[in-house]
Amino acid sequence: MFLGHETFVRLCRARDLLQEVPEEPALIKDVARESGMSMFHFIRRFEALFGTTPHQFRINARLGRAKLLLARGQHSVTEVCMEVGFESLGSFSEMFSRRIGVSPSHFQRAARAMVQIPHQVPPRLFPGCLSLMGYLPPSVFRNFQEAPSSVLR
Amino acid sequence: MRIKLTSIMVDDQNKALEFYTETLGFSKKFEIPMGEYKWLTVVSPEGPDDLELSLEPNANPAGKTFQQAMFGQKIPVAAFESSDIDADFQRLKAQGVVFTLEPTPMGAVKIAVFSDTCGNLIQIYQPVGA
Repeated sequence: MFLGHETFVRLCRARDLLQEVPEEPALIKDVARESGMSMFHFIRRFEALFGTTPHQFRINARLGRAKLLLARGQHSVTEVCMEVGFESLGSFSEMFSRRIGVSPSHFQRAARAMVQIPHQVPPRLFPGCLSLMGYLPPSVFRNFQEAPSSVLR
Repeated sequence: MRIKLTSIMVDDQNKALEFYTETLGFSKKFEIPMGEYKWLTVVSPEGPDDLELSLEPNANPAGKTFQQAMFGQKIPVAAFESSDIDADFQRLKAQGVVFTLEPTPMGAVKIAVFSDTCGNLIQIYQPVGA
């Protein structure tokens, strides 16, 4: 599939809209209309570009924001649930547990137990810049060293 | 000092593994679970098997902001060399890959750009005459 510039820009704008948490979240069909596409074409193109449907993208964005708020530890689980746009604590907890692997309260306790740097989130929960490398077993690096000498020159 | 490892941030490591292996044709090198995430690297079967690309999570908010800004400005975050860019374009297009630039001559190379479905634009290029 080839996406022209205008369609690409509209889909990126839709991505941004789906990440926002307004008082009244837009329905997917409204985002499609704002993007100038039928619901069918919007979902098909969005999924082809971003690898997930608009609905799933929005859920993932909300859960990502929930993780951040929980890790900062300034809000209760219920407050976080409302803050990121879920309407019921039950559906939030169920969705969070299914996608993240632990319950929101468990995630928050784990974050609290980690070393906290002021104004930063625990790097182990929010890794970046290859920081996971520090937790790798030695066998991975032995593999690096055992690469054929011909490709190391 | 040498270059043996570079990385791309991805929004979902499982989805990325599927795309980079099954769609692009790279091979998985390491998949080591680390809590919610994993140390995940792939290599190209057409290159040295110890030159790895790490598919790292974009969980860090700064990384996600950077990634989305680059994507929105249509800036590729990596470039892979192709020995036949037109054939790779046709192969990937047939698998549903979205291109934002079809194979286009540009100076000393012919380039194309596609979405990796994980939040990145990737450029492929073929040197002219190669």
